[in-house]
Amino acid sequence: MKRNKGMIILFLTPAVLMFSVIFLYPIVRTVIMSFFKIDGITDPVSKWQFTGLANFTKLANTSLFRISMWNLLRIWFIGGIVVMSLALLFAVIITSGIRFKSFFRAVIYLPNIVSAVALATMWLQYVYSPKFGLLKTVFSGLGLDSLAKVQWLDNDHKFAALLLAYCFGMVGYHMLIFASGIERISSDYFEAATLDGANKLNQFRYITMPLLKGVFKTNITMWSVTSVGFFVWSQLFSTVTADTQTITPMVYMYMQIFGAGNSVTERNSGLGAAIGVLLSVCVVAIFWVCNHLLKDDDLEF
Amino acid sequence: MAKEKKYRDPVNWKKELRLAPGYLILLLWITFTFVLLGWVLLASFSTTKEIFSNKLLASGLHFENYSKAWVNSDVAGIFRNSLIYSVISCSLLIVICAPAAYVLARFIFPGNKLIQTGFVSAMGVPVVMIVLPLFGIVANMGILNHVLSNGILLIFLYIGINIPYTTIFLMTFFSNLSRAFEEAAAIDGCPPTKTFWLIMLPMAQPGIITVTIFNFINIWNEYFISLIFANSDKLRPIAVGLYSMINSMKYTGDWAGMFAAVVIVFLPTFILYIFLSEKIIAGVTGGGVKG
Repeated sequence: MKRNKGMIILFLTPAVLMFSVIFLYPIVRTVIMSFFKIDGITDPVSKWQFTGLANFTKLANTSLFRISMWNLLRIWFIGGIVVMSLALLFAVIITSGIRFKSFFRAVIYLPNIVSAVALATMWLQYVYSPKFGLLKTVFSGLGLDSLAKVQWLDNDHKFAALLLAYCFGMVGYHMLIFASGIERISSDYFEAATLDGANKLNQFRYITMPLLKGVFKTNITMWSVTSVGFFVWSQLFSTVTADTQTITPMVYMYMQIFGAGNSVTERNSGLGAAIGVLLSVCVVAIFWVCNHLLKDDDLEF
Repeated sequence: MAKEKKYRDPVNWKKELRLAPGYLILLLWITFTFVLLGWVLLASFSTTKEIFSNKLLASGLHFENYSKAWVNSDVAGIFRNSLIYSVISCSLLIVICAPAAYVLARFIFPGNKLIQTGFVSAMGVPVVMIVLPLFGIVANMGILNHVLSNGILLIFLYIGINIPYTTIFLMTFFSNLSRAFEEAAAIDGCPPTKTFWLIMLPMAQPGIITVTIFNFINIWNEYFISLIFANSDKLRPIAVGLYSMINSMKYTGDWAGMFAAVVIVFLPTFILYIFLSEKIIAGVTGGGVKG
């Protein structure tokens, strides 16, 4: 045991040390920072001014930040419904005994391994291009001239365009999670249900869905965690700094703390920290709600 | 498993017909994916004029788009940076996380559960929660003013950010190994540390390969951390470099070159995926991601 003790310490130290430096210490410090007014990000603690919840009320009163939160909420909610529905649909098809399953699965997951910058560029410069874009070509080919003329990247359509492109890239990952959940359900259930005369739709409604509760929870949590960090896509789709159509809290934070430009009214790192705290609270809240709404009901399978 | 099935089953047309709507939906989706990627690939070999007139490849293959992007826009530089970052970070991640994962999976000691909970929670922490203090520290230390120290810092950050995920992922592999190996080694007088490096680590190889692929893809595509912490153009990794390149190419009007740059960035992870897609897909649902 004594020998093991030495090894345990030796083996854990590098990982735990780096974890403390990269996660633990910064998280604690960010939480503290969110209650202070801090002019420069490199200021020593002695220069911080305690302002209580002022940073949070200030954010709540900043219309640009409110817009960014609204955009994030829309991305999370609308995008979430679209992605989860498509992912579930694809997962059901993939596991229904089709041929070339691995091939289909691999192609649907493919966008997830591509750099978001590259993927967003393909959408921006090709699919939505007003001159040689895919949408324009397809719609004019179908004779739908009014649709072919739509400027997908103007202010009225930009948000939808952004969301569509983002969802396309996210479906694959969530499909894999759903599919593995469905595959874990024993085929006995479906066979018994078939013998009892239940059709496919009812089997899905009364067997698959209830048994996928835990998987739904995983998917919603993962979706929320990735949505909260929404940044690259937004940056690529915005044509001006502080583009109200595409701004998200992360972009707002980046603009305030690290960005140059005229939109920065006041430098206060405390505000940035407050945004971080706010987003973390959102993640924890979603996690909590999911855990309570989607209780696993001790269904063993 | 799916592969075996493909060769065994004779075509059952009745069954296939019933599945037709499913095939149709999937085919539509993947057709779109192929059109998207295929068009960009063809466009990267065409001239900008051909792209605008929708006549891709009308004058044959233009490889010069690639050589121009590689040399003039210095894709070579950002490519090399990302390669160095990914390879060093991925290797060190295993050296740091594999021992930790082994100890966490195999031994009972006070704090074990706490560390595991900490690592799992860290996977859900938004990056905003960590960048501000880290930036404050490194800026005060003057690390960002020197190319070498800044580069080392980037690698340090890439490693640190991926430690929780890598450790948790490897833990599942170690906990599935039989205890008989360690017992036999102990009876033969092999010290536990040596047992780990010589016996247990090689046996976790499938897990190590899978998690390294994921780490490579993550670090290769990493954007936010690099954007904030890479203070010099010389240090920019591929994602950040591509972003500024795209911005400048919009002004120079070299669309063909831009698509060539996109393809170059896309290629390494894509090639990896062609060969290892089954392993990657199994890894997504297998270890690490817990309910």
